[in-house]
Amino acid sequence: MTRSGIADRARRWLDAWLPALPLLALVTCALISPGVVLLAQTFVDANGFTLDLWGRVLGQPVNQVAVVTSLALGVCCATISLLVGGPAAWLISRLLAGRRAFWLGLLNVAANFGGIGLAFAYLATLGNVGMLTLVLQGLGLPFEPPRSSSFLALLMAYEYTNIPLFVLLTIPAMGVVRDDWWEAAQTASATRWQFWRRVGLPILAPFLLAGWLLIFTWSIGIYGIAYGLAGKSGGAAVQLITLQIGTALQSDIVLGPARAAILAVVLMAIASASLLAYRHLLRRALRWF
Amino acid sequence: MAATTVSSVGQTREAARPGRAEQGAVRAGQAVLFTALFVYFTLPMLTVFLYSIATRWTANVLPDGYTLDWWIATFADRAVIGAFGTTLLLATITAVLDIVVVVPAAYWSRVRNPRIRPIIELSAAIPFALPYIVIGFGLLQFSGIVAPPLQGTFPLLVIGHAAIAFPFLYWAVDGAMAAAGIERLSEAAEACGASPIQILRRIVLPNIRPGVVTGALLAFATSFGEFALVQIVARGVYTVPIWSAEAIRSYTGEPGNFNRLAVVTMVNFIVLFVLSAAVVYFNRGQTVRLLPGARSIERGERR
Repeated sequence: MTRSGIADRARRWLDAWLPALPLLALVTCALISPGVVLLAQTFVDANGFTLDLWGRVLGQPVNQVAVVTSLALGVCCATISLLVGGPAAWLISRLLAGRRAFWLGLLNVAANFGGIGLAFAYLATLGNVGMLTLVLQGLGLPFEPPRSSSFLALLMAYEYTNIPLFVLLTIPAMGVVRDDWWEAAQTASATRWQFWRRVGLPILAPFLLAGWLLIFTWSIGIYGIAYGLAGKSGGAAVQLITLQIGTALQSDIVLGPARAAILAVVLMAIASASLLAYRHLLRRALRWF
Repeated sequence: MAATTVSSVGQTREAARPGRAEQGAVRAGQAVLFTALFVYFTLPMLTVFLYSIATRWTANVLPDGYTLDWWIATFADRAVIGAFGTTLLLATITAVLDIVVVVPAAYWSRVRNPRIRPIIELSAAIPFALPYIVIGFGLLQFSGIVAPPLQGTFPLLVIGHAAIAFPFLYWAVDGAMAAAGIERLSEAAEACGASPIQILRRIVLPNIRPGVVTGALLAFATSFGEFALVQIVARGVYTVPIWSAEAIRSYTGEPGNFNRLAVVTMVNFIVLFVLSAAVVYFNRGQTVRLLPGARSIERGERR
C-alpha cells in the first residue's frame, strides 16, 4: 500500500510541477549553479578550504584600482543619467503626442545601440580622426580628444545607452505628478522651485533613485563597450572589474580563474545589494499607483 | 473672513506669478536640453553611416568621396556572412527554446500551481542583477564540472543565452495571459473535456500570440547583440559581435578596416531597429513600461 502511496504522491507532485520543470532546470543550470560554483571556488584551492585567495587577490593593487574605478564609473554614469535623464523624462512626458512618439522612438533606438557597435561609433565620432574631432580641429580649435581607453571616454560612451534607458524607465512615473497640482501650488502662490522642492521631487524621488540604482548596477557590469574601447591598450587603459575578469581568464596563469572568480563575486555582491535596495525603493514608490 | 482670504490669495498670486523672464529662461533651458540630446543621439549614428560609404576620411570634416564599395566588399566577405549566419541561428534557437520552456511554466503557474510564480519571478531578477560576464564565467566553470565536453560549444551558448533572455519572454507572456483572462478560458475548455495539451495549443497560444511574439523578439534581440557570454563561454563560435571586436582591436589605421566595421555596425543597427519597431507594433504602440519588477511587486501587494 505504501508503494502505491508513494507513486500517488509522485504523480501529484508531477502534476503540480511538470510543465515548469524545463524552465526551472534551465534556470538552475545556467543562473543559480554558476553563481554557487563561483562563490565556492573563491574559498577552495588545492589544499581545501582557504581564505587565502581573497587576501591575495584583494591585496593586488590592480584589483583594488579596478574595484574603485568600476564603482566610480557606475556612480558617475548613474548620476549624470539622473541629472540629464530626469528633466528630459519630465519634459518628454509633457510633450504633445506626436513629438513624444518621436522622442520615444529615438530613445528606443539609442538604448538598443550598445556593445562593440557603440564602441566603434564612439571612435568614429570622437576618435583621433572622428567626425567631431575633425569638425573642432577644422574650426581651428586646439582640440585633443580624450584617449579612447580613458575613464572620460568610457563615461561618454556608456551614457549613450544609459540616458535613454533612464528616461524610458522613469517616464511612466512622471504621470504620478498631476498637472493640476502645479496649478494648485500656483494658486497657493508657490514658486516653481518651491513646487518642485515640496511636492514634485519628494513624490518622484523613489522612482528617480530606483532608476539611479538600475543604471549603477548595469553600468558596473558592462563589458562589450569597455572591451571595444579599452581592451587592447593594456596597462595604459582604465582598469575595470569586468575588464579584469576578461584579462584574468585570458592571460593570468598564476591566479587566473581564482582571480576572475573573486572579482566576479565582488561584482555579484555589489549588483545584488544594489538590486535589493532597488526593490525596496520601488515598493515604496508604487504606493502612488 | 472668507473675503479677506480670497483677496489676499489673489494678491500674492499676482505677485508670485512667474515673470516673463523666468518663463523665457525655462523655455530656453528646454530647447538647449532637447537640442543637445538630439545631437548626442544622432551624431554617432550619422558618423557610422558616413564611414560605411566614405572613400577616405582622415582630414576633412566630411569624407573625401562616397562609394558603395565597402558594402559590396563586406557582403562578399565569407567571414562576415558566416558570422551573420551564426548570429541569426543562435538568436532564433534561443528565442524558440525560451518559448518552449517559458510558456508552459507561465501557464501552469496561473492555472494549477501558484507556487511556481515566485520562483520564476526571483529567477527573472538574476539576469538583471548579475552582469553577463559573471553569468558567462560561472557557466563556464559550472560546465567544466558537470559536462566538460560542452565547454566552448554552440549548445552551451544557447543555454546561456536562453537563460539571460527568458525574463523578457516571461514578462511579455505573463502579461498577455493576464490580459486574455487565461484562467477562465482554460477552465471553460477543461469543462468541455479538453486535455492540457489541447488547451495549450488551441486556447492558450492563440490568445497570447502578441505576448509570445513580443517576448520572442526581445529574446532574439538580447541574443543577437550579446558579446560577453559568446567570448567567454564559446571560444569557437564566431558571431557578429566577435567579428566586430576583432576588427576594432586589430585596427591599425590602414584604410578599409574601419569602413567594413561601419557597414557591419549599420546592418546590426538596422536589424535591432526593425526588431524594436516590431516590438512597438505588436505591443499596440505601447513603448514604455514601468521599472522592471514593478508589476510583480504591485501584484504581490494587491493579493
